Amino acid sequence: MSLKNILENWSHYRRGIEQGGHHKYEHMWGMALDLNKCIGCNACSVACYAENNLAVVGHDRFAKNQVMHWLRIERYWDEPDLDKVSDSTSQYQEHGASFLPMMCQQCNAATCEPVCPVAATYHTPDGLNAQVYNRCIGSRYCSNNCPYRLRYFNWFSFYESSWPAPLHLQLNPDLTVRDKGVMEKCTFCVQRIRVAKDKAKMENRKVVDGEFQTSCQQSCPTTAIVFGDMLDPESKVSTLWRTHQVELGKTKQAKQNRELRGYRVFEALNTEPKVMYMERVREV
Amino acid sequence: MELGENRFGGKMSVNDRGFMSLMNRTEELSGGRKTGWLWAPFLSLMVFALMLSSVEAYAEGTVPNAVPPKGTYEGKNVEQPIEFPHDIHAKINEINCMYCHTYARRSKVAGIPPTSKCMGCHSVIATDKPRIKKLTEYWEKREPPPWKKVHDVPDYVHFTHEKHLKRFVFDNPELPVERVSEVCAFCHGEVKNMTVAHKVKPLNMGFCVRCHEANKGPSDCWKCHK
Repeated sequence: MSLKNILENWSHYRRGIEQGGHHKYEHMWGMALDLNKCIGCNACSVACYAENNLAVVGHDRFAKNQVMHWLRIERYWDEPDLDKVSDSTSQYQEHGASFLPMMCQQCNAATCEPVCPVAATYHTPDGLNAQVYNRCIGSRYCSNNCPYRLRYFNWFSFYESSWPAPLHLQLNPDLTVRDKGVMEKCTFCVQRIRVAKDKAKMENRKVVDGEFQTSCQQSCPTTAIVFGDMLDPESKVSTLWRTHQVELGKTKQAKQNRELRGYRVFEALNTEPKVMYMERVREV
Repeated sequence: MELGENRFGGKMSVNDRGFMSLMNRTEELSGGRKTGWLWAPFLSLMVFALMLSSVEAYAEGTVPNAVPPKGTYEGKNVEQPIEFPHDIHAKINEINCMYCHTYARRSKVAGIPPTSKCMGCHSVIATDKPRIKKLTEYWEKREPPPWKKVHDVPDYVHFTHEKHLKRFVFDNPELPVERVSEVCAFCHGEVKNMTVAHKVKPLNMGFCVRCHEANKGPSDCWKCHK
């Protein structure tokens, strides 16, 4: 994507695949998360820290909202029962919290992309919302424009504080260690995608579904996370999307069967997220 | 090889074009005078010399179809534990680059061969030379010589040797594997003529993109940046 290309086709880059897209998609990586299976154990988040060289910022900076977790587990508590307000135990509901693992939704019509003044974030032919660290100047417009609040800014250089001497050996060499002043976010483990694609290309074939996993998917003890190519109708992820009648290109899913649990977060905003969640079923 | 078409069947490289314009200029010069024929032997010599030089310029590792970078980008001489003579191995003895750098066609990095590969030959060949003695010392100590990296792309760049070799050698019917050193020379320069390898090409983004544009390589940022 040369600068000339960016300047000429600026509005073009806004298009998702349902509007014809701005280029031919090779793949369209997507995800499906079953919240029924999610136990909120945080293994995915920890795996993400290890895989993607995420800095550990410490308590103080966490409190200042400067945390760098690309995948966070959001907790939701149901409204407390009004009748039981006086009861001291009622502030926690008896079923416990609901968990929602939240990572970059890799929107097809991402709101972060058109606002970047230097085109450091753009859409790849893999349907990923890319962040090019070298190009990023840290204007933080993208973060402001992201309805999911999934972009994280490096307020400091964490290299020395986060990985003191022997710990730097655990850094993943397939990924940059981001420096101060750069925005970052979940990449759907693009380094793993890259390796799988390179391997497939060397063997003159297409990437097979399930050939590789994202680190969160790999570490999930309950296999709540399913990842794959949504252009491949046979893949697990597109099968799940189909079963739950969630479709791209819609701001509201018209479902006949109310038993189907699939939904996308903030799909009414027309950002076209490529992560589908399956609602948790509760016996109340 | 026809003029206006290089060995890769693409457009002329700048070297070829420069050569053409020089030819035209000499023709103009000679055509402008009545005594043009007197130049003929000299001209043919000159043309021959120019052809030689253009061939040489190509062999120096011009990237096919791409504009060669201006200026020199000579890297510092890296001091290696043993002064490894690439010229003796690759030029005089004509050993294929991939005999030692065997990982180039299989992985991201070209790699340095294990000492056992060196010893495969050098337990017999040239055992009395000082450099080989040093190597044997390392071998007997069971320590790899601490070779230093010469061509180092920044950490934020993803580069695979295997895909480039596939594109330019194994998928390129015009280039037999025996001539792989010409492809290596695109980025590594004429290592054949060096003793210890040193950087001669810029290896910066402009250098990469120049070739990617000319040879229709991927232009997606995330293909190379990580």
